[in-house]
Amino acid sequence: MTRVLVIDDEAQIRRFLRAGFELHGYTVLEAENAMAGLRAATIDKPDLIILDLNLPDLEGAEVLERIRSWSNVPIIVLSILGDEQEKVRLLRLGADDYVVKPFGISELLARGEAAMRRQLRSADREPVVRAGPLSIDLVSRAVSLSGKRVQLTRKEYTLMHTLATHAGLVVTHQQLIKEIWGARAGNIQYLRILVRKLRQKVEVDPTQPLLIVSESGVGYRLDLGTSGSLRGQNEIMSDTSCPA
Amino acid sequence: MSTFEKRGRLRAPTANRPKNDAVLTRERQQSSWLNRAAAGVTPIAASLALVWLATIALVVIGSFVPLNLAPLVYMLPVVLAATQWGLVAGLVASFAGAAAADFFFYPPLYSFWLDNRQDVIDLLLYLLVAIVTSNLADRLKREADTSKRREKEIGELHAFSQALATCLTSRDLIFAVQDYLSNTLQYRAVLVAAEPVDFGPAVDGATVPDEVRREAANLQAANNAAAATVTDAGTGKAWLVRIIAPEMLGYGAIAIELGLGSAESIRLIARHLEAVLEEAMVTFKHLKVKEAIEQATISRRTEILRDALVSGVSHELRTPLASIVGSCSVLNRMPAIANHPDSRALVEAIHDQASELDNQIRDVLDASRISAKGVQPRMEWTDPTDIVDAAVKQKARRLAAHNVTLDLQRDVPLVRVDAVLVEQALGQLLENAAKYSPAGSKIEIRSRCAQDYVELSVADQGSGLTAEEQKELGKRCYRSGRQAAVPGSGLGLWIATTFIAANGGSLHADSKGPGCGTTVSLRLPTVAADTPELVDALDD
Repeated sequence: MTRVLVIDDEAQIRRFLRAGFELHGYTVLEAENAMAGLRAATIDKPDLIILDLNLPDLEGAEVLERIRSWSNVPIIVLSILGDEQEKVRLLRLGADDYVVKPFGISELLARGEAAMRRQLRSADREPVVRAGPLSIDLVSRAVSLSGKRVQLTRKEYTLMHTLATHAGLVVTHQQLIKEIWGARAGNIQYLRILVRKLRQKVEVDPTQPLLIVSESGVGYRLDLGTSGSLRGQNEIMSDTSCPA
Repeated sequence: MSTFEKRGRLRAPTANRPKNDAVLTRERQQSSWLNRAAAGVTPIAASLALVWLATIALVVIGSFVPLNLAPLVYMLPVVLAATQWGLVAGLVASFAGAAAADFFFYPPLYSFWLDNRQDVIDLLLYLLVAIVTSNLADRLKREADTSKRREKEIGELHAFSQALATCLTSRDLIFAVQDYLSNTLQYRAVLVAAEPVDFGPAVDGATVPDEVRREAANLQAANNAAAATVTDAGTGKAWLVRIIAPEMLGYGAIAIELGLGSAESIRLIARHLEAVLEEAMVTFKHLKVKEAIEQATISRRTEILRDALVSGVSHELRTPLASIVGSCSVLNRMPAIANHPDSRALVEAIHDQASELDNQIRDVLDASRISAKGVQPRMEWTDPTDIVDAAVKQKARRLAAHNVTLDLQRDVPLVRVDAVLVEQALGQLLENAAKYSPAGSKIEIRSRCAQDYVELSVADQGSGLTAEEQKELGKRCYRSGRQAAVPGSGLGLWIATTFIAANGGSLHADSKGPGCGTTVSLRLPTVAADTPELVDALDD
């Protein structure tokens, strides 16, 4: 059974997270402060960690760094901050993704599952990533849309590849730029144009992207179709996040 | 008059009659002619009394000693009177002494006639010596008086500068100057309004001759001279007019009545008062700097406090809401609720209301942040398509009941804006469109590019705008009376307007009238992108 560790000092938040995860077959471990959380992360070896940033004893970023110093366990950060810079910083420190309070359980589940899948994939070397009608074969470097092969330039493929290896998770602008143009060349303007070109090849309607989704001020995400959007509005409460 | 009353008098003009002059000091005690006459008569009478005493003494001495000591003894009243009461008293004593000596001690006795020529010479000699002595004694007295006065003045000035040094505000400063002028120097001073001189009836005895007012106006207009002395033709009294810093309680000049006197004495007094006022002005400038620093410290502290409050409120209010929203999302997936439509609807209602509350808290926080430090956008190249997409997703729940259509151009140029702020602003427009148009109606989101801007617009088929609403729209906390039933704070569109303005853009609302729908568009400036470089960067 998948084990998730929730590190949050708010009892009410822990309670609904427990209910939500248990409903989906997870075993939930709880920690009400950073030290208890670090201990549980070491001893219980959870498969997923949900980490609140506002902890009474240690700063969330500090907890993140300490866990990352010895473990690759997927970590999703709960943030009430509206600061995009802070989100980018947390992602750089090793968070797999974040959700902004208030959020719905499905959004958190989607992020958590994406993070765990990514880890599994890197362990099993599972070569094909699927997102809706899109499939990306990471080994043969082939991208196809509804079974039809899509021709991509080298840079477009690098972009696609980077997003695919993080399928469902946000990848920061800086990380993408670094992958595509290297650490020094490249800028966000190039990235925007490149994303636009890629969308023209893989999206049904490039002006209403469903696959390559932008996270304002942070980066891009290859959407696996599990988190909601206007088009997915029938799935009530699938996505109630409002970036603060 | 108590200090309090005097202060009250000064306060009154600033509170009630800001344009009027203010009397700074009480009237100088005007002595009556009787007093003045008495003051003149007393030394003369005293001198005569001294002479009379000397006569008695001589009579007493004469009964024991046969020598004629009259000229010698009569010198005493002269010296005493001259040193005590001045030249006139000395002269009176001299002549009275000569007359008394002649009458009582020179033969023939009890007559002013003199038999002996030697006696005539004696008396004339006495008179000469007495007059010279009077003069010398008088000069001595005056010098002593002057040095005593100087000492007193220095003492007072010292006290005054100490009073200035302890001033904390410009109001304290005014009080110190007032106290010095009225209580120490006994001059009447009037603050003349900085506004164009008003010749209306002066209030509170603040009568300033027209010449003085005119001179004050001239000085203010000239802007180079600091002070001038004017003589009022009507009363012959001299006035000192000096320009003061206009920030000082809003008055432009101070006029001080110097009274009557010789040109020389007026000049001396004027110079003294000018020095006093100069010192006050210097202190005033220091105070301004100090006050500015204090003001800055206070506003900095307020800012820290507000930030603490904002982040505190943010955490305290939004955390429980996060629990509510999250719990609803779990409840809704629990089989007992998921399969029971009524319960499900209730849970959804709780969820939506909590989300709405959270949005409103966010609006208040945003508004307070804007007021505290303005908006600091982080400009970055952004695809307008992404902004629209993110805003639509953000408001997906609010828009669920409406028929949303997107009409976006494929080749909209990139814009350099803070994507998060623009997204929030556009979200606000969508929110308003959903709020003020009936469920099921169409909301159209369009993008359009012009020469130097990209326009994103949201068109609804809702309640539209009246002319007045169109004018007031976007003002902080403006809410139309027509929409009293729709909940809202009136902050949303103001925040949107502010955010767009911070990105160098503008917001326009357009409506064909009430009930005819509203189109709100935001324009974002475009900058020519560096195409050759881009092609280079994207080519493989």
